[in-house]
Amino acid sequence: MAAKFEPGDLVLVRADEKTGHVRTPGYVKGKTGRIEELLGEFEDPEILAYGGPRPPKKPLYKVSFHQTDLWKGYAGSTGDALYVDIYEHWLKPAREEAR
Amino acid sequence: MTDIHDLGGSPGAGPIDRSQHDVEDWERLADAVTVVLDKKGVKTTDEHRRAIESLAPELYKKLGYYERWIAATELLLVEKGLLTREEIDERATELEESWS
Repeated sequence: MAAKFEPGDLVLVRADEKTGHVRTPGYVKGKTGRIEELLGEFEDPEILAYGGPRPPKKPLYKVSFHQTDLWKGYAGSTGDALYVDIYEHWLKPAREEAR
Repeated sequence: MTDIHDLGGSPGAGPIDRSQHDVEDWERLADAVTVVLDKKGVKTTDEHRRAIESLAPELYKKLGYYERWIAATELLLVEKGLLTREEIDERATELEESWS
């Protein structure tokens, strides 16, 4: 599976409610971040969590977020960033002006 | 709405309890049993996480870290048909009685 995003791309984390095992923390859902790095391709843990045959591999990215975008009234520096490892199926392309 | 384990940023969650305690023998054993079952290919870390997350919210909050591990391992062993709930309860009762 070819990776859909490259470092520097802006991405929007899907805000969908997904039942079951989810590896994307709630506080980044619906937020815009930036791809920092492709970390590799790994068996999808959200399927692996239910046993059965080994699932296909999916690209995993390191995505950065501005802390000020994540937390209302964030009191730290505006340059502070938070990095989260996110699988590709949780990401959609985001436009520059979304940021 | 996120599940019980997805606490980051929840209002009123309060600060993280960073206090430490010495590791107890039963905790080492809980860790060892879980890791061996992973290494033997009986279950995966992802199944273990899913099992922990499936605990009833009230139980999840009440249990400590390794108590959740034990609950998850038990749940997965029963789910996979390797042990029955009755066998586990029976053995637990035997052990309890041998110590009382």
